[in-house]
Amino acid sequence: MEGQRPPRSWNWVGILPFLLFSSAFLLGPAIILLVRSLQANEGGWTLGNYRQLIDPQVLEAYGLSVRISIVTAVVGGVFGFLLAWAIIYGGLPRVFRSLLTTFSGVASNFAGVPLAAAFIFTLGRIGMITALFGFFGIDLYDSDFSLYNFWGLTVVYMFFQFPLMVLTITPALEGLKKEWKEASENLGATSWQYWRHVALPVLMPSILGTIILLFGNAFGAHATAYALTGGTLRLATILIGAQISGDVLQNQGLGYAVAMGMVLIMGLSIGLYTILQRRAERWLA
Amino acid sequence: MEGLIAAAQEEGTLTTIALPHDWCNYGGVIEGFKAKYGLEVNELAPDAGSADELEAVRANQGSTGPQAPDVLDIGLAFGPQAKDEGLIQPYMVSTWDSIPDSAKDPEGYWYGDYYGVLAFEVNADVVENVPQTWADLLKPEYNGQIALAGDPRVSAQAISAVFAAGLANGGSLDDAQAGLDFFAQLAEAGNLIPVIAESGTVSSGETPITIRWTYNALANRDANADIADIQVVVPADSGRYAGVYVQAISAYAPHPNAAKLWMEFLYSDEGQNIWLEGYCHPIRYEDLVGRDAVPADQLEKLPDVEGAVFPSLDQIGAASELITTNWDAEVGVNVGG
Amino acid sequence: MAGVTVTAPPVVIETPPAIATPVRAGAGSKVLAWVIMLAGVLYFFAPLVATGERAFRAIGRTFSFEAFRRVITDPEFLRTFGESVINAVATIVVSLLVIVPTAYWVTLKVPKLRSIIEFITLLPFVIPAVVLVFGLIRMYSRPPLAILGSYGSTRIILICAYAALSFPYMYRSVDNGLRAINVRTLTEAAQSLGATWPTIVWRVIFPNLRVALLSGALLTFAIVIGELTVALYLGQHTFGPFMSNLVRNFVAEPAALTILSFAMTWGAMGFISYLTRRQPGKRRMRRRP
Repeated sequence: MEGQRPPRSWNWVGILPFLLFSSAFLLGPAIILLVRSLQANEGGWTLGNYRQLIDPQVLEAYGLSVRISIVTAVVGGVFGFLLAWAIIYGGLPRVFRSLLTTFSGVASNFAGVPLAAAFIFTLGRIGMITALFGFFGIDLYDSDFSLYNFWGLTVVYMFFQFPLMVLTITPALEGLKKEWKEASENLGATSWQYWRHVALPVLMPSILGTIILLFGNAFGAHATAYALTGGTLRLATILIGAQISGDVLQNQGLGYAVAMGMVLIMGLSIGLYTILQRRAERWLA
Repeated sequence: MEGLIAAAQEEGTLTTIALPHDWCNYGGVIEGFKAKYGLEVNELAPDAGSADELEAVRANQGSTGPQAPDVLDIGLAFGPQAKDEGLIQPYMVSTWDSIPDSAKDPEGYWYGDYYGVLAFEVNADVVENVPQTWADLLKPEYNGQIALAGDPRVSAQAISAVFAAGLANGGSLDDAQAGLDFFAQLAEAGNLIPVIAESGTVSSGETPITIRWTYNALANRDANADIADIQVVVPADSGRYAGVYVQAISAYAPHPNAAKLWMEFLYSDEGQNIWLEGYCHPIRYEDLVGRDAVPADQLEKLPDVEGAVFPSLDQIGAASELITTNWDAEVGVNVGG
Repeated sequence: MAGVTVTAPPVVIETPPAIATPVRAGAGSKVLAWVIMLAGVLYFFAPLVATGERAFRAIGRTFSFEAFRRVITDPEFLRTFGESVINAVATIVVSLLVIVPTAYWVTLKVPKLRSIIEFITLLPFVIPAVVLVFGLIRMYSRPPLAILGSYGSTRIILICAYAALSFPYMYRSVDNGLRAINVRTLTEAAQSLGATWPTIVWRVIFPNLRVALLSGALLTFAIVIGELTVALYLGQHTFGPFMSNLVRNFVAEPAALTILSFAMTWGAMGFISYLTRRQPGKRRMRRRP
């Protein structure tokens, strides 16, 4: 850019409203979380809560949470993207688009007890599809299949991950310029080549951003897992809930420390994603 | 008492927390209280656990808004903790003397409210032979049918179930290991499934067998009679295992007089009888029966709790510690992935 | 900003078609699209059908509307749903007003702060709901910030908290939308026509983000309608607590309630979607000769 620029140091004022609002309703509670993670259950300050984070149970909880978040983010991202593509560019009847969009709105937050219940009704021991299989002589639960394990939970999580991807990637998909498709066709490229070399790279920053959203969404989820497995699947969020709430005297300090660990993991994920994103953006510059 | 009623009515509202309507007929209790004294009752978080209740008191210090709880109903183990932290204030109801000493704090900070014994809650539509003892539960015919009514690392009810199982399998009130071993066997055999049972899942048949306080099981039996035939069986081999919950008034209650009136109501004959209708044994049960203050038809409906064992605070503490720490390692159901 | 040469033609805004794109899909693409669509429909509808089956069949073990009747005749059902809808609309407004200008500013002026902003917007995922609500109660129960004194003022805090919870979704949608339009050019063009910042944001940016705003609004709406923990501890009588109450005890009613709330939320969203397609006052700016 040529010419004089006003001193940049004042530009951050533009995000002041956001910072104030976030401080009032997000950062405030987050700081309280931080403070309490540094307090011992009996009173006084301590780093002891953090020392407990290397306990194998805790590490396993983090690992489980990260794994399910990555799996559902990637699979959810891919299929969600395909769904969004199908309704925008797939040549389907127009009405499908608004139907899927609004349905996605509802489904994106269909979680917790109702969602778990719905899947139990479908794939649980006396569920509809289980019964259907039974009708053909196949006992689902006799085999290794179970709704109540990691993969069962993954299937359930998709119910809100797919729609989240659909809704969030739609503005980006929509924004693909017609001219590019036409230009690539003029140059003799197939549809697949267009997508691979033009559209997807352009969309990559948005896709990455949406996948991190899906990751966070799954990472912080807890009601659904709890409703489905009764706490047996020890995700980090469930571990936190067990320490902070409940009917048995537990270790609240540990709960807060684990939560801070999650904040850290989230921060690291954003760091990773930012690096990937900068690379993707470089292509566009 | 008149002065208290007047002061409470001036305050106008009572804020409660963690009182599901179908637990010990709290629905009836609340309606009764509202009708008798004309106060409003603001109900928070019916599903809150004891730890959440204390947290709500802590967070709301100094607040007079509608989200600050006045009265608490918490697990026995939480009474002393709340007292130590200064979260509750003492109050001795007029019927204080008829509350058994073992169930109250001598200084009046907390006091037992009701108890029940553990029983099997069975959906007889799904389960042909209703199990009668803990030993029965191990039979192969119950494969995939048994679930606990809570997370044993978190729920007092679930922990009690494990503890009680121990009593029937060579354990004692001082050692809950036998209970853990029993459930490990149950899980190994595939009879125990990692789902949390509740009224809905038992009635639907998803978790046809669970272990709950008699008052919860019986309430479900009545409420869902048109969906399933639910039978409640107190296991014959562990004897009756009882659990107590306690009441307390928040030290920061915005409506202290309403809170005290509430306690007076709960511990009056009338209040205690309403709990009885919910199949709970009110803490003054012995006293009430001794004075013939319980209607005969109510008495008949109650499960027999003769000879019930009440673990002490220390015993519960030790058992909870043991069970919550070792559950994953010893019983933990394989979750795959 | 003297000396900056704007080379792009003034104010050509390609309004992303909100309804249909005149892109012809090849036959192969169409088949693929149908297959994907079908797979999606099967996956989404199976649990809903199973829930429906439960709702219609469970009571009295025969097909009946009894469960639905019990839910609908509960006066609390419509009251709490209505209250939640109003909360949702208010939340959407607040969220838009905070996020859109911020995302715009970050894209345009301070891209280096992007990571920090994104981190903050993703915080709602890692702060447990109980921690959030008790944190808010602690902050606003005591003087000088004693706002939680009454049901009404608490409701305002609730709405602001919900707006904060919507940040991850709203920000991402808006950011995706901004990437699809040429923000810099639009801004420079508008500025060269003498527009001030508020005007630019309101009359140039907002209208071009319609699809993104719709996505964000729908996601926010769903969050508010179903939210449970915060409402519970703030003592607010909204739809989430009502639903959870029912689910705890009964078999068929929750299933009926799920179907009903799904249908009603879907309808409400259809309405929002319809509204955004017919925005009064939105003008298409044409190329000036």
